[in-house]
Amino acid sequence: MRTLIRKELKIMFKEKGTFFWLIGLPIIFIVLFASIFGNSDQTLTIHYLDQDRSALSKTFIKQIEKMKGFKLQEETSKPMEEQVQDIKNGKLSSLVVIPRGFEKKMKSGIHTQILLYRDVTSDQTVASIRAILQNMSSQYREIKLQDSLLAMGKTKAEVTKTLQSPISIKEISQHSTKVDIITQVIPGFTVMFVFFIMINMIQRFFKEKDSGMIARLQSTAINPIHYLLGMWIPFVIAVLVQCTTLISFGYFVYDLKLGNVLAIMLLVLCLSLCGTGIGLAVTFLISGENQGVVLAQLFSMGTAMVAGLWMPIELLPSFAQMIGKFTPQYWAQQGFQDVMLRGADISDIWISLMILIAYGLVGLIIALICFPRFIRSATN
Amino acid sequence: MGTILKVDRLEKTYGEKKALQNVSFTVSQGTCFGLLGPNGAGKSTTMKILTGIIQADGGNIHIFGKDIKKQSKAILHQIGYVPQSITLYEQLSAYDNLVFFGEMYGVYGQPLKQRIAEALEQTGLSDRAKDAIKTFSGGMKRRINIAAALLHRPKLLILDEPTVGIDPQSRNHIFQMIRSLIKEGMTIIYSTHYMEEVEALCNDIAIIDHGNVITQGPLNELLEKYSQKAVYIEAEGLSGIPQLNNVTKIYEEGQGWVLETDTITETMAKILHLASRNNWHLKRLEMIRPSLENVFLSLTGTKLRD
Repeated sequence: MRTLIRKELKIMFKEKGTFFWLIGLPIIFIVLFASIFGNSDQTLTIHYLDQDRSALSKTFIKQIEKMKGFKLQEETSKPMEEQVQDIKNGKLSSLVVIPRGFEKKMKSGIHTQILLYRDVTSDQTVASIRAILQNMSSQYREIKLQDSLLAMGKTKAEVTKTLQSPISIKEISQHSTKVDIITQVIPGFTVMFVFFIMINMIQRFFKEKDSGMIARLQSTAINPIHYLLGMWIPFVIAVLVQCTTLISFGYFVYDLKLGNVLAIMLLVLCLSLCGTGIGLAVTFLISGENQGVVLAQLFSMGTAMVAGLWMPIELLPSFAQMIGKFTPQYWAQQGFQDVMLRGADISDIWISLMILIAYGLVGLIIALICFPRFIRSATN
Repeated sequence: MGTILKVDRLEKTYGEKKALQNVSFTVSQGTCFGLLGPNGAGKSTTMKILTGIIQADGGNIHIFGKDIKKQSKAILHQIGYVPQSITLYEQLSAYDNLVFFGEMYGVYGQPLKQRIAEALEQTGLSDRAKDAIKTFSGGMKRRINIAAALLHRPKLLILDEPTVGIDPQSRNHIFQMIRSLIKEGMTIIYSTHYMEEVEALCNDIAIIDHGNVITQGPLNELLEKYSQKAVYIEAEGLSGIPQLNNVTKIYEEGQGWVLETDTITETMAKILHLASRNNWHLKRLEMIRPSLENVFLSLTGTKLRD
């Protein structure tokens, strides 16, 4: 068995593709996602057109500017009609217009309107701008009420008490570490690419079968179970090396907070048993290499999406979240994030560990049942 | 010489197809036994059953006096098997491949290193030991393929079409390897559909066709028994051969004529006499060497390569 393990590790080492699929590609994904989303400017640009160009309209604009997360951009290069056409053509998501006479109407106490032109397909972006404008509108109403109450002879304290909302919101942070893109993508892509080992496993086993190697090794009186273990263990080692490399990359390059290292190590071990166990089952269940590779890709990519490996699972539709909970990737990701973000230790992530082991064991049992058929097909 | 292998009424069926039907033969110790037959005759199936790769549906095999069904492990440790396909790891070096197969056969450490050195010497590939197999020619791969089955010093070496698709030079090298193994006392079973290879290497043969052994015995005896003796004549200006006594059949072949007869020398003397009397300008007059092709033809009515 040692001979088989050593041989298989040597072959893996010589196959440059193995490193690319298991380590190179995930690193590219991590760097790409971290660069795009990690350092991105999260401010939302509000395009506006000030037709009034008065002191009041400028004050209104300045008040929006003071709000965090928003950037204002005045659109003066084109006439308003053309900009409205741009919205229709999908080139612009929204345009805030302060119409002529804004100051005059405000001073005269006449109701005035701020116009919000919007693309109906950009609900998510426009919702934030609409909320800002409504907030501004409320503030103006509050000032108007305050002035009226003061004019009625109320004291400042009475006015403040009257205008005070019956409820207020107090933010209490429960996490010691900030949830950011790094703690999403590094464990996420690590977990996702662990399951790519299935492709390597399928290719190696079918190469052994098609080349006649399995038949030849049968003539050496090898125990078939020793052969199976000798082929499987190198893949477990490969996943351990893969996870260690990717998490270390995150730690050294992106300052990823690891939390309880022992818990992370246990998760990696269980994940490797799970990924390779399922890989063995798929290898012996399928009838051909191409079919297996397609299945493995579909499984790895499809389940990664619903398991919340690409984006936080909370952002997915509820049915997708429900499906995600049936995938081993979800539990692996939850385990990693519990340890890295919420300071969990081994006792806190036991459900994740057990579920990963259970998936791995089911895979191994299926593999053991189907293995004799695979050997027969390799020798006949 | 004692019997090292006894195959008795071997049967194997794949689905509806009977691959082997009552295959029986024996192999004596220290001989090179040729298993000759066309593609699909059942040679590889027989080899795989002998090496424990697949199980027979019926019949018995005794190797070294032991029943393969009961003592397969003990038997297989004394057998070296060279499959028809080149089963080596292309990414690994010749040396690493030999280490792998040596260890799979239970040879480790210094003895293995020594045997690998000997095997590389024997194959003439010592200088390429560290090169990856994928850089080797087909013939070189075939040689390493054979060497991989020799590292545990088996008593019986089973070669299944070991020269398929290689150049004549590599074939000669392999023949030299096999001859030296026979000299060392190893018993060899050599399966092929090339009759020239059997004629060049083997003492005893069995001819197999459609899953049946149609004949077996010492090569010379079979050639004597089944091959038709004949004389070939080629002469300028010769338009026909007169009927001669003891000549059973005359037919054209190439630029000349073949005369089938059991009295070779008498027939050749008569031809020389006729040539002198009729002023034939003889270009060739020779005895046709009996061949396994003729043996196969006379037993099955078809040519070996049909």
